[in-house]
Amino acid sequence: MASASQVAEPVLPPRSEVGVAGWARENLFGSWYSGILTVVSAAAVVLAIWFGLRWTLMSANWDVVGIIGGRFIIGGYNTDQACPGNDCFWRPQAALLMVTALLGMLWVVAAGGVVKRVAIAAAAAAALSAFLPYSMERMGLDVRLLLLANVPALAIGWALARYTPLGTGRWVAVYGVVVFLLTIILLRGSSDISFAAGPLRLHIPMPDLLRPVPTLYWGGLTLNLLLAVAGIAMSLPLGIALALGRRSHLPVVKILCVIFIEVFRGVPLITILFMSQHLVPLAFPENFPRNSLFSAGVMITLFSSAYMAENIRGGLQSLHPGQAEAARALGLAGWQTTLFISLPQAVRNVIPTIVGQFISLFKDTSLVYIIGMVDIVEIGRTFILGNPEYRVSTKEVFIFISIVFWAFTYGMSYVSRQLERTLGVGER
Amino acid sequence: MTTEESPAAEDIIICRDVHKWFGSFHALRGITTSVSAGEVVVVIGPSGSGKSTFIRTINRLEHHQRGQIIVDGFEMTDDVRNIDAIRREVGMVFQSFNLFPHLTVMRNITLAPTKVRHTPMADAEDAAMELLERVGIPEQADKYPGELSGGQQQRVAIARALAMQPKIMLFDEPTSALDPEMIKEVLEVMQELAASQMTIVAVTHELGFAREVSDRIVMFDEGQIVEDLPPDDFFNNPRHERVRHFLSQIL
Ligand SMILES: Nc1ncnc2c1ncn2[C@@H]1O[C@H](COP(=O)(O)OP(=O)(O)OP(=O)(O)O)[C@@H](O)[C@H]1O
Ligand SMILES: [Mg+2]
Repeated sequence: MASASQVAEPVLPPRSEVGVAGWARENLFGSWYSGILTVVSAAAVVLAIWFGLRWTLMSANWDVVGIIGGRFIIGGYNTDQACPGNDCFWRPQAALLMVTALLGMLWVVAAGGVVKRVAIAAAAAAALSAFLPYSMERMGLDVRLLLLANVPALAIGWALARYTPLGTGRWVAVYGVVVFLLTIILLRGSSDISFAAGPLRLHIPMPDLLRPVPTLYWGGLTLNLLLAVAGIAMSLPLGIALALGRRSHLPVVKILCVIFIEVFRGVPLITILFMSQHLVPLAFPENFPRNSLFSAGVMITLFSSAYMAENIRGGLQSLHPGQAEAARALGLAGWQTTLFISLPQAVRNVIPTIVGQFISLFKDTSLVYIIGMVDIVEIGRTFILGNPEYRVSTKEVFIFISIVFWAFTYGMSYVSRQLERTLGVGER
Repeated sequence: MTTEESPAAEDIIICRDVHKWFGSFHALRGITTSVSAGEVVVVIGPSGSGKSTFIRTINRLEHHQRGQIIVDGFEMTDDVRNIDAIRREVGMVFQSFNLFPHLTVMRNITLAPTKVRHTPMADAEDAAMELLERVGIPEQADKYPGELSGGQQQRVAIARALAMQPKIMLFDEPTSALDPEMIKEVLEVMQELAASQMTIVAVTHELGFAREVSDRIVMFDEGQIVEDLPPDDFFNNPRHERVRHFLSQIL
């Protein structure tokens, strides 16, 4: 009778297959050609790091980044032309505070540690920038305090979601939309509102602090982020609608969707942006204010949703027909089958492609420079052009901008990977 | 039991001269039969003979082009209300389970009752738990389908169909994708269902089940019914040579 303990005696794998040495032998030097590849690529990496570090620390002159400073973030928003008095800086900062509070709420609502880490990183980055070694004339106490306030803002958002009934996904979504609209209103500002109808006269004076700032002057990273957030939030539902339309049994709907998708996918975004100022106003009444920011946002959204539609359609096509059949056999109506069975699975299957689409949309927002908007890239370019003495620092400027883009896109793909993991894509 | 041509009042499924074409391929060539309430009918026949097509026309996953199908008093027409009414009365279990992989076992079962019948969630969950106990896997309620064995998945699929409280259950080769030891656990559930007076139409090659549980065995060949007999007669003195040939092939 074999005793249980004898059977349970653990058998260790051969020594050569464990530990660092075992791993390296198996994966890096498994054969002569993988050995050569390992040595060559290791040498290349070491060289790249050596030269990269030497340039970054010794020859590079990062002063220029500090000189451009806050302009990278808000562009010409707080300049004399845009805001005489230079007291408009607090408005983008207040918008940031609202966004940080939103992140605090999301931290509670979204299960898993991803959002928590992103929220803490964002608030910490904002708060730490309060200690940038600028002179007090360049970066006043008010600016620094508003940046520090991101920490309590995060805490307030967190507490609101944690301890009040606002902590549900639905309310946070509503708050998200409210934050976006408030951001636009706040950035835009307003002159005095006068209203006269017959005997009724209304005059609401606006404080100087809220003086209007034309969207022409909105710029920097704020502009990229506004366009990207609006584009992402709108192109997903629009893409879903187009994908469903393209699969519709109604020929008219189907043909319209196909035409829309193929037209927007067939034309370069630059061309579409060039046309945006002339095309978008056609869709609105004569007296609707012409606004190139709005036109650009609409066009970027439409462009992106055409690609999104094809991604979603791919997801729908990958589903086993038995899924829809089972739903129909249970008595679910066609729209219920789509909403509860097909779409969730289709979207889940193509999360990596969708996020890829979001990332490229974010990067494409820099193209708005061609219609005269000054995004973060254009800030760098115009600064160099306007200040020839800094031409030697061109590399530093664009490397800094690249790092900013990279940080955001890496954040997006990090969140997407964690999302895939929590949803168990590919496992279930 | 009821094998006479004129449908009796308790006939819950009535098919009269049903034809179905896939393009120019004539898959069902004049099916006339009926099933009375509480009856268990097993459908067998060679591959491609139209068995799946036949039971899929009963809840309109396939639509027939000629003839008449009446289920629980509703005639199967293009009228969406009739189709929805019939689908609520008819549960279906597939060879490939077709559970919804993005939903838990519990949600798989409660989805249709809450969305179609508007049962309150708490009641639907209580009912789902009872059904899971009936099929023997209450402890799996919070898992996802991908975490279950094939036999467990098929039992969830049966519970999911039963949650709509159907009068008729259709099975399309429910055990052909399963390993032998799992076939037994699914057949036991089906046997218990049959004993509870459920009307069942099942395509299956489990002849043991057909012999012990069914009231009638219907054999399809090339889109037609070639035999329709109680199990004893079917196995012992079939009228057609083709039945004998088929049995000799699969026994
Ligand atoms: N969607 C379809 N389009 C075209 N032909 C089809 C379709 N579905 C079934 N058929 C054809 O109809 C015939 C009957 O198919 P059916 O699936 O009903 O057979 P079956 O008896 O269930 O066979 P099996 O035992 O292999 O499941 C087959 O010849 C099949 O090729
Ligand atoms: Mg079949």
